[in-house]
Amino acid sequence: MEIKNKLLKSQNKRWLIVSFFISTVLLLPLIFLFSNVFNIEKSEFSYLWNTLLLDYSLNTLYLVFLTGSFSLVFGIIPAWFISNYNFRLRKFFDIALYLPLAIPTYIMAFTYSDILSFTGPIQSFLRKKSPNLAELMNKDFLQIEILGVILGLALYPYIYTACRLSFSLIGSSYINMSKNLGLSGTRLFFKVILPLSKPAIFSGLFLVIMEVLNEYGAVKYFGINTYTTGIFRAWFSMGNENTAIQLACLLLLIVFVFLIIQKVFSRRSKFYYSSNSKIEKLNEPSDFKRLYIYLFCSIPFVVGFLIPFSYVLNNCILYFNKIDFTTLYILSKNSIVISVFSSAIIICISLLFLYVEKISKLKISSFIGQATSLGYVIPGAVIGLAVILLFTKIPILQSFSLVGSFSVLIYAYVFRFLAVGKSPIKSSLEKHPESFDDTAKTLGLGPLKTLQKIHFPINKLALAIAFIVTFVDLLKELPITLILRPFNFDTLATQTYQFAIEEMLMESAVYSLAIISIGAVMLIVLKSIINKQINAS
Amino acid sequence: MILHINLTFLLAQRTILIIFALLTLSSCTNEQKKSNEVNLYSQRHYTVDEMQYEAFEQETGIKVNVIKANADELIERLKNEGSNSPADLFISVDAGKLQKASKLDLLQKISNDQINSNISDDLKDINGFWVPITYRARILVYSKDRVKAEQLSTYSSLTDDKWKNKILVRSSSNAYNQALLSSIVANKGVESATNWASSLVENFARDPKGNDRDQVKAIAAGQGDIAIVNSYYIGLLLSSEKEEELKAGKSVGVFFPNQAEGESGTHINISGIGLAKNSPNKENALKLIEFLTGESAQSRYVNTSFEYPVNPNVKPSDIVSNWGGFKRDKLDLNKLGIFRKKAIEIFDTSSWK
Repeated sequence: MEIKNKLLKSQNKRWLIVSFFISTVLLLPLIFLFSNVFNIEKSEFSYLWNTLLLDYSLNTLYLVFLTGSFSLVFGIIPAWFISNYNFRLRKFFDIALYLPLAIPTYIMAFTYSDILSFTGPIQSFLRKKSPNLAELMNKDFLQIEILGVILGLALYPYIYTACRLSFSLIGSSYINMSKNLGLSGTRLFFKVILPLSKPAIFSGLFLVIMEVLNEYGAVKYFGINTYTTGIFRAWFSMGNENTAIQLACLLLLIVFVFLIIQKVFSRRSKFYYSSNSKIEKLNEPSDFKRLYIYLFCSIPFVVGFLIPFSYVLNNCILYFNKIDFTTLYILSKNSIVISVFSSAIIICISLLFLYVEKISKLKISSFIGQATSLGYVIPGAVIGLAVILLFTKIPILQSFSLVGSFSVLIYAYVFRFLAVGKSPIKSSLEKHPESFDDTAKTLGLGPLKTLQKIHFPINKLALAIAFIVTFVDLLKELPITLILRPFNFDTLATQTYQFAIEEMLMESAVYSLAIISIGAVMLIVLKSIINKQINAS
Repeated sequence: MILHINLTFLLAQRTILIIFALLTLSSCTNEQKKSNEVNLYSQRHYTVDEMQYEAFEQETGIKVNVIKANADELIERLKNEGSNSPADLFISVDAGKLQKASKLDLLQKISNDQINSNISDDLKDINGFWVPITYRARILVYSKDRVKAEQLSTYSSLTDDKWKNKILVRSSSNAYNQALLSSIVANKGVESATNWASSLVENFARDPKGNDRDQVKAIAAGQGDIAIVNSYYIGLLLSSEKEEELKAGKSVGVFFPNQAEGESGTHINISGIGLAKNSPNKENALKLIEFLTGESAQSRYVNTSFEYPVNPNVKPSDIVSNWGGFKRDKLDLNKLGIFRKKAIEIFDTSSWK
């Protein structure tokens, strides 16, 4: 027995070494950034701080707060209704509510600023009905608030997905117990369901906040200056690389603190879902409640998907005769191939990290795990530049002249999107009792066998979910692709963007439509997988 | 048990092998430099550019490879790639960025008689580091209903109290506005430029948002009366197939500011091309510059993207010619780069968003 344990330990060590190696490679851009942070000669940090940064930071905080709040409202409430009540179109909404994830935030921003503009349908309508209100709207009040709603609409599916899964898995035993104790309806939701789902909600909210922090296109289009704008201002407009690096590192530190808080918090509220006790019967809502349900389920879908989708589709139809189908085909192929390949790599690495974190239980591996997730919060363009610096400043890498090759592009993708791939796998791994591992250990299964025989099958669906979520994100990815891509390599996203910034929304429509459609199909597949998971548990 | 250990190792080994295979593969593809090509880092991404490269390929058989991204990012890439850079040419829509690249020692001088004779003298870089391929004017457009052309004169006159809540312009993070303010700093000094920027902000009809075309639409919508925009956007609006855009384009008049005797002339900026210091295909690169400044390529620019030609033998498109000729600001365009930082500081203190 003792020998066996020793063997197992040494095996764990090997896993640890492999994961340590890969994470070091992945962390190189971060290490590179931080090693330059004390390069303070000629830093203009204080100039920036005095003139703009406070303003930019407050804007960012406010935007995070707005987007976070809206995405919580749009995510949690429909998820609860759909998990708990029976109503017509329930299955339809369950799928439809995921779809806004298929629309990149920059397309959302272009679309809505057009719709809300003076010549758009809303103001035209108001001018006829109530000129005063139209006049008020024309004043462009509440820009940041509108952007908050738009980003909330684009990003709430992260929270919806997490909640939907969690609510369904909490299981009837908790609910029945609570009902016996006299809790029902709203109180049941607030006292039992919400607290139990905190880790899931937080993991979703975390993704939303990170997306907001590195948001660039939509924010720029609305003319709102955020912290990220400050980084670019320092780097490009003022030509001060060091200040930009300092700003980026400060942002990272803030996020790291947030990550640790989230970690402590979710550990404190860790609980294992009891299996075989899913909600068996859906409640029949009263007529009054039904109205609420329809309202809360349709708003996020209609405003977050249907309207922008119809707008883009309409532009496509108007422009149909001029569509270049050969280019469309090539760009779709490019986008799909690179996204599939990169997602596959991301999933493998995520699984490796999380599994090592699980079996080694070492603080250091969990710390490294957190650190590798940081890529998600760094603005894409900063990652692109950090990667260029890395591959051109370090002599060994330099000789390969790798910048502009697919491997560096994919490397940057992995660094940026690892957190997206990890999130679903992580919550799935955490849901399963530790006793599985202990049993495997007593049965003498090594780590690889345990992974292969136990964790892989029971987390198969989570892996598929992670793959699709990453794929959809990669499909929409813009700044990294722009700066790191090889010669003559265009994707649907870069083409959409290039037309859109030249104010050619008609020309960009067909590429937007392709992104949205491919994304939407993948999300529908995702939904069916999630349903399977819910039904299987 | 031992089998399992081996499996783990095998897995790790294989991963590392694959990574190396990928690395070598991708560096190989980089190494295969065919001589019959030319590599561009370009900030331009208009439809007309694709047409130009295709025509060039057909004429010479030289393949044009392009990476399109923002100018600053391309400069960073060029800078860091150093002597390993595959880039032959850097194309920007702002003389300031070309000046920045030449200051960072990323460009080499271009001396070629054919190219030299293709271009109007006053548009050339005095240091010879870049070659203009088109130019654009930053003009005023005004509501034909509410403003008379006689009421307009200079950029400075826009700060007049009578234009309170009437001026539309995009954000200060936009390179075209930065270039305009840089030119004012260069022509009139920091103090004058600071006064201009902060007084203009007082006259804004709304917080800056959207792009140049949006400003024109905003005039059509009655949000303001006068906008500062680039000339070719008006050409694009007037040739648009979208009725709403066409209407917006027709509702405004075009005015070239600073034309009077003693005034500096209307601010212009070039779209230009620089030869990379370590250009691996220099000969092809020069051929491409010759081609782009030649008459057939120049007329393609003029008629597709409504920019002004740099070749004196080519006339602007009909739409653009209808606005009449104008006096260009003769400022050395490198100053647009030299005073860029000052301009940004002024924007920050004047709270031009």
